[in-house]
Amino acid sequence: MRKGSLKLNICAVVVCFAAVPVLVAQTPKDPIPPKPPKAEVEQKPEVRYPVRRPPRAPEVPGDTVEKALAVDPQVNIKLPCISQARVTINGWNRNEIRVFIKNGSNVGFKVHETDPKSGKPVWVLISRQPAGGALSDCISGERIDIEVPFGASLVLSGRKSDTRVDSIKKISLDYAGGNVALRNISGGIVAKTYEGDVSVENSGGQITLQTSTGNIIAYGVTPGEVGDVFKATTANGRITLQKVEHRQIVASSVSGELIFNGKFLSGGIYSFKTSAGIMKLAIPQTSSCRLIASYGFGSINSEIPLKIITETVSGGGKSLNAKIGEGEATVNLTTNSGQILIIKQ
Amino acid sequence: MNDKCFEIGTIQAFLDGETTSELSFRLTGHTAECGRCASLLAEAEEENSTVFAVLEREMNTLVPTQRLWSNITVALAEQKSRVSFWEKARGYVFALFANPSLAVAASVLVVAGLFAAVWSVRTPVSDNSDLAANTQISNVGVQDPSSQQPSEFVSVVGGDPEIPTPPAKAPLQVKETNHSPEKLRKLVTNADYRPAADQPRTEYAIEYLPGEESYVRKIDDLKQNVDLRKDLILDPSARVAYERDIAVVNDAIKKMKEVVKKNPKNQAAKQVLYSSYQNKIDLLNSVVEREELMAALQ
Repeated sequence: MRKGSLKLNICAVVVCFAAVPVLVAQTPKDPIPPKPPKAEVEQKPEVRYPVRRPPRAPEVPGDTVEKALAVDPQVNIKLPCISQARVTINGWNRNEIRVFIKNGSNVGFKVHETDPKSGKPVWVLISRQPAGGALSDCISGERIDIEVPFGASLVLSGRKSDTRVDSIKKISLDYAGGNVALRNISGGIVAKTYEGDVSVENSGGQITLQTSTGNIIAYGVTPGEVGDVFKATTANGRITLQKVEHRQIVASSVSGELIFNGKFLSGGIYSFKTSAGIMKLAIPQTSSCRLIASYGFGSINSEIPLKIITETVSGGGKSLNAKIGEGEATVNLTTNSGQILIIKQ
Repeated sequence: MNDKCFEIGTIQAFLDGETTSELSFRLTGHTAECGRCASLLAEAEEENSTVFAVLEREMNTLVPTQRLWSNITVALAEQKSRVSFWEKARGYVFALFANPSLAVAASVLVVAGLFAAVWSVRTPVSDNSDLAANTQISNVGVQDPSSQQPSEFVSVVGGDPEIPTPPAKAPLQVKETNHSPEKLRKLVTNADYRPAADQPRTEYAIEYLPGEESYVRKIDDLKQNVDLRKDLILDPSARVAYERDIAVVNDAIKKMKEVVKKNPKNQAAKQVLYSSYQNKIDLLNSVVEREELMAALQ
């Protein structure tokens, strides 16, 4: 069997060697025509997301525009896009919207809805008036001043604008960047800016403040109704809450400090979280709350005597369950490696 | 008429389109100046038109005459008779190998032949050898009844580097056996061997805490989104801040996972772990929301 296969192999080799000279002699006069290129394998196109950088607003000095519109006192106003500008929005005791833009784009009002009784606009859009060659609908200018009725509610979106809002009913604001300062807003606030500080003063209602790389300051804030929640979130900024009288407060910072200076109200639920930042709670000595603290690799110190219910001090999983006074409010404190300080007011 | 005048043959060739372009140019230039040549050309053209009109029917048939066919056939037969056998064979072989695929096949055959020759020379031939007895078996679960060693399989372990893998046992290697060919055949037939693809996959399920899996999945989804776009969305300063925060949160998650792993009943550690997961989700969400905002503002 093996011998037979060996002979067969040798025969194959001989035949092959005989074929070699023929192949060597074979020199084609005409080169073998190149094969037509194969259809290229359809490759998945590389996922490339378009650069979503909107065209910049014209930097050249534009017009100075001032326009006004009579509206309902409870008007809803929307500014869909504000490009770079310094924006000031003030409430006033007139049922009228006035827009003043210095060195910027032309602007116009678009009435979406009117009050069936008074016939006055209750829903108004303020946007750039189309012009030849306009690249964007965003309002831009060196300065944008808007006056609205005290009872107005505003919705703003923008790229990077420093904005001050004072004395209106309600605001919802969403910016890619820029500092936001809000005062005297009674009916609720939603303010998001991804690069900038947010400050709220003397305001009320349901409040949500969010920034990525900025500080949050809230001072003298009250709930509008029972159950209104105060929420403040930042990634690496500092959160400072002073005289915030909501019964539900959620504040969270990844690496920034968290400072609370106020009272824990009876029945309130407070939740403070940091990952690596310090947590300072300045409360009256007569406070009544129950502390539930999980502080991982961090620490907890209190100037106010605590009635410890349970305590775990094992590395990495430290926790404290304690009471101050009667324990009427619930305070949840969570940190990974931060320090928790409870100090007297 | 002068020395530059062309012969009638040349003029006729010109009319038949058989002259070179240079000659045609010279001829036309000359006839423009020479009256005699011009008349010769005109006469020749007239003759041509007359002849072609008469022969038009014959020429348009495009069928060679019988005499032409017979001449061609005779010439081919003579040429064939002069070709020797070797030339015929050479032509046949050349035609055969003109096909590139056949040439490649022949090359493969040559290489295979060489390999077979080398293999035949190197392999010792023994008349009493049996193929089964000489085969070296490795990594195959041939269960040897005489030995009490259990059969083993090549374990397939998932590629996740985070999944702990048990230390691989040394594979069973049977270098030589003393079994009879029949017994060996029986053993091989009954061997509980399956290809790697069919083997039971050893699953090392990651043990999640209650609710942890949903966090992990959510983070994975968001991360895929964010990793693709963060360079476009975040400017350098924001990017630095984002990466720093993510690093802080990842560190917290890692540390807390270790703590929970050591003591699964530690509720405080779990709470911090969940909080860290939530922080990470918030961070990733902030990038996504920012991207959505920028898109909406276009």
